[in-house]
Amino acid sequence: MFVARSIAADHKDLIHDVSFDFHGRRMATCSSDQSVKVLVSGVGIPWLVVGSVWAGPWLSCSQRLLVGLVGIFFFFPFLRRRAPDVMNLSQWSLQHEVSCKLSCSCISWNPSSSRAHSPMIAVGSDDSSPNAMAKVQIFEYNENTRKYAKAETLMTVTDPVHDIAFAPNLGRSFHILAIATKDVRIFTLKPVRKELTSSGGPTKFEIHIVAQFDNHNSQVWRVSWNITGTVLASSGDDGCVRLWKANYMDNWKCTGILKGNGSPVNGNSQQGNSTPSLGSTIPNLQNSLNGSSASR
Amino acid sequence: MSGTKPDILWAPHQVDRFVVCDSELSLYHVESTVNSELKAGSLRLSEDSAATLLSINSDTPYMKCVAWYLNYDPECLLAVGQANGRVVLTSLGQDHNSKFKDLIGKEFVPKHARQCNTLAWNPLDNNWLAAGLDKHRADFSVLIWDICSKYTPDIVAMEKVRLSAGEAETTLLVTKPLYELGQNDACLSLCWLPRDQKLLLAGMHRNLAIFDLRNTSQKMFVNTKAVQGVTVDPYFHDRVASFYEGQVAIWDLRKFEKPVLTLTEQPKPLTKVAWCPTRTGLLATLTRDSNIIRLYDMQHTPTPIGDETEPTIIERSVQPCDNYIASFAWHPTSQNRMIVVTPNRTMSDFTVFERISLAWSPITSLMWACGRHLYECAEEESDNSLEKDIATKMRLRALSRYGLDTEQVWRNHILAGNEDPQLKSLWYTLHFMKQYTEDMDQKSPGNKGSLVYAGIKSIVKSSLGMVESSKHNWSGLDKQTDIQNLNEERILALQLCGWIKKGTDVDVGPFLNSLVQEGEWERAAAVALFNLDIRQAIQILNEGASSDKGDLNLNVVAMALSGYTDEKNSLWREMCSTLRLQLNNPYLCVMFAFLTSEAGSYDGVLYENKVAVRDRVAFACKFLSDSQLNRYIEKLTNEMKEAGNLEGILLTGLTKDGVDLMESYVDRTGDVQTASYCMLQGSPLDVLKDERVQYWIENYRNLLDAWRFWHKRAEFDIHRSKLDPSSKPLAQVFVSCNFCGKSISYSCSSVPHQGRGFSQYGVSGSPTKSKVTSCPGCRKPLPRCALCLINMGTPVSSCPGGSKSDEKVDLSKDKKLAQFNNWFTWCHNCRHGGHAGHMLSWFRDHAECPVSACTCKCMQLDTTGNLVPAETVQP
Repeated sequence: MFVARSIAADHKDLIHDVSFDFHGRRMATCSSDQSVKVLVSGVGIPWLVVGSVWAGPWLSCSQRLLVGLVGIFFFFPFLRRRAPDVMNLSQWSLQHEVSCKLSCSCISWNPSSSRAHSPMIAVGSDDSSPNAMAKVQIFEYNENTRKYAKAETLMTVTDPVHDIAFAPNLGRSFHILAIATKDVRIFTLKPVRKELTSSGGPTKFEIHIVAQFDNHNSQVWRVSWNITGTVLASSGDDGCVRLWKANYMDNWKCTGILKGNGSPVNGNSQQGNSTPSLGSTIPNLQNSLNGSSASR
Repeated sequence: MSGTKPDILWAPHQVDRFVVCDSELSLYHVESTVNSELKAGSLRLSEDSAATLLSINSDTPYMKCVAWYLNYDPECLLAVGQANGRVVLTSLGQDHNSKFKDLIGKEFVPKHARQCNTLAWNPLDNNWLAAGLDKHRADFSVLIWDICSKYTPDIVAMEKVRLSAGEAETTLLVTKPLYELGQNDACLSLCWLPRDQKLLLAGMHRNLAIFDLRNTSQKMFVNTKAVQGVTVDPYFHDRVASFYEGQVAIWDLRKFEKPVLTLTEQPKPLTKVAWCPTRTGLLATLTRDSNIIRLYDMQHTPTPIGDETEPTIIERSVQPCDNYIASFAWHPTSQNRMIVVTPNRTMSDFTVFERISLAWSPITSLMWACGRHLYECAEEESDNSLEKDIATKMRLRALSRYGLDTEQVWRNHILAGNEDPQLKSLWYTLHFMKQYTEDMDQKSPGNKGSLVYAGIKSIVKSSLGMVESSKHNWSGLDKQTDIQNLNEERILALQLCGWIKKGTDVDVGPFLNSLVQEGEWERAAAVALFNLDIRQAIQILNEGASSDKGDLNLNVVAMALSGYTDEKNSLWREMCSTLRLQLNNPYLCVMFAFLTSEAGSYDGVLYENKVAVRDRVAFACKFLSDSQLNRYIEKLTNEMKEAGNLEGILLTGLTKDGVDLMESYVDRTGDVQTASYCMLQGSPLDVLKDERVQYWIENYRNLLDAWRFWHKRAEFDIHRSKLDPSSKPLAQVFVSCNFCGKSISYSCSSVPHQGRGFSQYGVSGSPTKSKVTSCPGCRKPLPRCALCLINMGTPVSSCPGGSKSDEKVDLSKDKKLAQFNNWFTWCHNCRHGGHAGHMLSWFRDHAECPVSACTCKCMQLDTTGNLVPAETVQP
C-alpha cells in the first residue's frame, strides 16, 4: 500500500523531470518555467526548495534533462561525453558516438557495475517511418575494439518507445529492462556464458519477456525502477502511476495505482490484481526475439 | 451550424457553463458528482461530473457560427452569425433586467446577404465584434461592428420597407459597420491579435492577412492555403496556428513569410484546431469522422531567427469517447480540461493528463511530477511485512544489525524480523556449522573443520566404507525397522540438521523438548516417530491438543496413530494411506506416510516439499543406504539450487554450489544483504573470491552508502575484513613532514627498529599518551594546530563547549575507539589544520578557516563533511 502527499516545488509551469542525488537527500526538478530547482530534505523534515536557477529558454527544449548534483550542479548535455579534467567541468570531449540508424527517444545505461559484463546502453526509438521496425536496440562496449557495438535488437517491440530503463542490478545473474511503449513491458536479458559463445564478439543474450501490462490502457510515458530493481513505477496517458512488483514465482503484478494528483484510484485496487500475470502466459517469445536462440 | 454538426463553447467567465449549438442553442450547467448522486434529468459527462440543461434558445435559425461575449454577463450574451450574413446578439438568460438588455436582439446586417463564416470578439475592446463573410463581388468580407453603436434611422426606414418586419425588431437593426475590410475577397477565419487592439488576423481566400485598423488601406499578407481556423497561442502571442485540409501550419508573426512548422498531415480534413488556454504550447486538433483528439506538445520557445534544429514536438492522442467527435472546447480555467460533443449531442468532459515523470529515491519513496505539482509517495509502515519490498526490508534489517551477530548466529533471523522461514533455516544452519566447526577444530585441529562448511552433500560424499543397516525395535510396539548404523559423517549431518546435539550421544530428546516448547507439536511428533517412538509421538500430540495454542484435532490424530497396525491389508492402513493426503499439516501427513510405507521406500516422506529440508535430510540419513542417500541428496541439492531455496544451504554449505544456490536466491529476491552476510560467515577464501560474491558485497556496501548508513558500512567492512583480510583498505592518507617530506608513519614502518610505531604519534589514536611532537625522520617539530597552537602529536586538551557534541558522546561511550580528537586533519584547499577535535568544534560555529586572514570556507568545500549519516537520526 502506497500513500502519496504533495510537495511544494513552486514551479510556475509544467515540471518535466525529477532527479535525485545518490543519497536521495537532494532532488532537482526542471520545468517549462525555465528554471531548475533544488530541494533538500532530511529525516522527518519536509522537502524545501533551497535553490532555483534560471536555466534559460533552452531548458524547455530538453524534454528529459539529466541533472547531476555534485555540490554545485551542472548539466550533462550529451550522454556520451566525459570531462577529461575533473577539476574543469566546462570542457567535455566526445568519447564515443553510436549510430542507431533511428531517431532516438530515450536511452538507458545499464547501472550494473559488475566487471563480469561490459557497459551497456539500451536505446529506444519513436521513429514512425514504416521501415523502422524494431524500436529497441542494445549496445555493448567491446573491450577489444573500444567501441560500442549493437548486441541485440528487441524485435517484438514495434510500437514507438517513450521510455526505457534498466533495473539496478545488485547481483542478479541477468539484466531487467523495462520499456514504456503502448504498454509496459519487462524483459530479462540473461548473458549466455562466455564459454559457450565465440570469444571477442558481442555478448549474446537470452531474452525473455516476463511481463506485459496494458492496464494503463493508453500510451505509457515513463518507467522507473527503485534502488533494488524490484519495484517498477510507470506512468501513462491515463494520468495514473502504477507500481509493479514480482512475487516469488517471478510473476509480475500491479501492487499499487495512484492518480497523478496523488489520490488513490477509487474502488479498483483489485483491478490491477485481476488482470496481471501475463508474464506467465507469454513466457517464451525469445526464440523469435533472439537470433542466437540459445536454449536453456 | 448546419443542423447535423453541433459545436460547443465554454462560457468565458461562468466556468461551470457551456453551450451546445446546432439548430438551437442549449445552455448547460456542469456539476461535480464526486460527493453527490446524479440528479434526475442531468447528463453524465464523466466519472465525476454531470450537466444539467438550463435553457434552450431557438430564436436564431440558420446559425453558422457563434461567439460568446467576452465581458462578464449573467445573461450569457452570444453573437450568432447566420447564413444570410446577419449577426444577431442573443441571450440564454432569463433575467431581462440586466444592463445588457438593450443589446439583446440587436442585428448587424451587411449590405449584401451571404454566409457569415466566423465571428471574433475583440479581447481588449469588448464591444467590437469582427465578422468574416463569404465573397460578394467587390464587397467587403470583413466587417467590424460596434455593438453599442446607435442605429441610423434613415437606413432603418429603408430596411423596414424591404423587410416589412415588426416594429420592435427593426429598431435594433444596425447596418453601418465600424470598419470594412477585405474588399473583393472572402474571409474564412478571424482572430484578434492580443498584441494590439487594432490588429486583426484573417484567413482570407488563399492568403493570411493582418489588418491594422489604424491604417485600413494597408495590410500585411502571405499567400497560403492554410487559411482556416486561425488561432493565436495564448502564451506566445506571436505564434499562430491555421490549417488546410489535413495539415496544420504554425506561424510566427515576426517571420511571417512562411510557416515555421507544419505538423504531420492527417489523412482526413481537420475540423478544429485550438490552443490549450491553461498550459503552454499544447495544441489540440480534430479531424472529420474521428474519435481521437490529437495533441501536439510544443515545449520550445519560438524564436524569430531561423534556428537549424528542429523543435521537438511530442504528438499524443486521446480518445475521450467511442463515437465520432463533432467538436471540442478547452475549459477556460481548469487545467487541461475539455469537453467534447458528438454528432448526436452526447457530451463528455475529460482532462488531458500531463505526462507524469517519475523518479525513485534511494530511500524507497517515489517522486513524481504531474503538471506543476510534485508528489511523494512512500510505502506505508503499518503494512503486512511480507508484502514489503526488499529494499525496505534490507534497510530495516541493516538498522537492526542483521547479520552482525557472530556469536549467536541463529539470532540473525530474529534481527531480520523473524518472519521468513527460509532465513530462519539459513541462520540455524550457519549457527550449527559454526558450532561444529569449532567443535571439530578442538578435537582434531585442522582436520575436518572446513568440511562442516562444505555442507551435508560433501560430508555424506566424504564418508568412506559402507554403512550397514540393522534392525531396531520400536519402543512400545512389536515391530522392527531397518535403520542405518550412524557413522561419524551421518552423525555430523544429523547434528547440522539440528536433530541431535553435540557429542556422541544420538538422543533426540533435547531437540524434541525444544520443539514442544516452541509449540511445533506436529513436527516434534513426526521426529519422535522417525526415531521409532510412537508412544512419545502420541504423547506429544496429546500434549499439543491440551495446550492453549494447540489444536484439539491433534487428539484425533493421536487416536488414529494409536490404532497403528502392522498388518498389510488392514482397514487402518487402507484408510490412512488415502486420507493422509487430506491432512493440512505436512508433518502429520508424513507420519502416516512413514507408517504405511513399504519397508525401504520412503518417497512419501522424502518428497513432501512442505516438510523442512533439514528434517527430510535427517530422515534420509537415518533410513537410506549410502547410494540411496547420495542420490537423494544430489537430487534435493539441485532442486534447491534451481529454486534458490535458502534451506538448501544446509546441503551445499558455503561452497561453489552454495554460491550457485545463493545466486538463484538473489535472482529471485534481490536480497544481496543476506547473500553477503551468509557468504561472510566463515566461508573459505575461494568462495569469497568468487566474482559473484564480490559483486554482492560491493553492491551491498554501495546500498549502505546510498542510504547514508556509513557506520553500518564500517561495521560491515570490519566484519568482512576479519574473514577476508585482503579486503582491508590500504591507508589512503599519509602525514608527511614539512621539512624532510617523509611520511611520519612511513618512516617508522620502513625502519621499524629505528623509529617508534605509527600509533605512538597519536595518528592512529593509541591510548598511550604520546609526547612525540617531532618528525621521526629529521627530528624537526611537527606543525602546530591552528587553534591551540601546540605542536601536533600532543593529545588534545578538552574541547571547550564541545562536550555536548555527538562526537564527544560517541567517544565517551567507547573509550577503546581511536581518539579521534587527536587526529591530524587539514583542509585540502588552504592546507590549514590541526587537531580533529578542535577543528570540528570550530566549524560548528564558523564558516571560515581558523587561521587569521585565511578566508577559505573549508567545511563547505567538503561535500561529504556536511552529510549527516542517516542512522544517527533513525530510531
